[in-house]
Amino acid sequence: MSAGLLGCESCGLVSADVVGDDPTRVQHCPRCGHVLRATKPFPLQRTWACVIAAAILYVPANVLPVMVTTSALQRDEHTLLGGIHELWLDGSWGLAAVVFVASIAVPVLKIAVLALLAWTVRRKPAWRRLERARLYRLIEVVGHWSMLDVYVVVLLAATVRFGPLASVSAGLGLLSFAGVVVLTLLATWSFDPRLIWRDHPADGRLA
Amino acid sequence: MVRAEQTLVVCEQCGLAHRWQVPAEAAVARCTRCDAVLGRSHRLSIDSILALTVAAAAVYLVAINTPLMTLSLRGSAESATLPEAIALAWQAGQEIVAVVAAVTALLAPAAFIALRLYVLFPLSVGKKAPGFAWCVRLLHQAGRWNMIEVFTIGVLLSLVRLAGLAEASPGPALFALGAVTVLFAAIESAGLKHLWWHIK
Repeated sequence: MSAGLLGCESCGLVSADVVGDDPTRVQHCPRCGHVLRATKPFPLQRTWACVIAAAILYVPANVLPVMVTTSALQRDEHTLLGGIHELWLDGSWGLAAVVFVASIAVPVLKIAVLALLAWTVRRKPAWRRLERARLYRLIEVVGHWSMLDVYVVVLLAATVRFGPLASVSAGLGLLSFAGVVVLTLLATWSFDPRLIWRDHPADGRLA
Repeated sequence: MVRAEQTLVVCEQCGLAHRWQVPAEAAVARCTRCDAVLGRSHRLSIDSILALTVAAAAVYLVAINTPLMTLSLRGSAESATLPEAIALAWQAGQEIVAVVAAVTALLAPAAFIALRLYVLFPLSVGKKAPGFAWCVRLLHQAGRWNMIEVFTIGVLLSLVRLAGLAEASPGPALFALGAVTVLFAAIESAGLKHLWWHIK
């Protein structure tokens, strides 16, 4: 796709595409020197790699405990869903909903949407382009929020330090979950939303 | 290198080129094809962004140097600042989690402020800081990794969860974090590309 005009993502200056589809040449922005590309490098390969890795890590993130609490009487292991269930049983339904959205809904949404976007670029390029573009922007916006539980466990472990009386430590599940969050962020950034509009009738024209 | 017309803008989301017209006050220009935001009428001058950034720097220093919360249990009290919480996670053997938290809640916000100050001070008197282009690119990355707003909600959530276990009280850092979140949102609303409009 040689649209003819490239916008610099760093400074916004528009330049003519002089490289086209030649993969051996790289064009830089004449004003700020940033790389100008019609598409990000290997967008589908990188997105698939991160999405698949995130989906695999999502299993231990949910099965292994994210948080271990110890008190004089007992030692408890809490998984992601278990923690939400406890909040629900305590009557904190609002909090349970917030944590559910941040820890379960957002990561699953990101993995599912990116897989759908990467799949449709090849298989159904003309299918509901505007809706797909909006889905991409949605996961770009909500992406950060899945980090919430990582921060909560780090904070609880840092303040609940009363030795044998009461203490909190992070479990192996938290490591996997942090990996899921970082991988889904990288997957979002490696996907190129311009691929959704490849071969669109308006491509290359001036609106 | 062919330099195209200055009055063009290319949609970041779909790559379609548009003729650029400055939107009316409080209006948003959207891409005619994919509906993404092309640009807004910016109400913030370089001086006001600089003022907001200086304020953010002051509040951020409070946020990282004072306790986030204090927990009391049977006469003993424990409190932690943001860097202490990250250091404790590292010492507890959660090195990767500590690094992720440090990058997203400590380093990215610090770079967000420091690089803006470095670029904006000379720009406010019409000068271009050495390495300007490089700083703007780094600022783009700092903005992507900055999750201070999520961290702020994380502190609130931790406080609520601790309330049942022991006597938990918020520290000065929590209020400072709230202010940092609001200031960052105001600074980010101006974007980064407008910085180049002031370079001759």
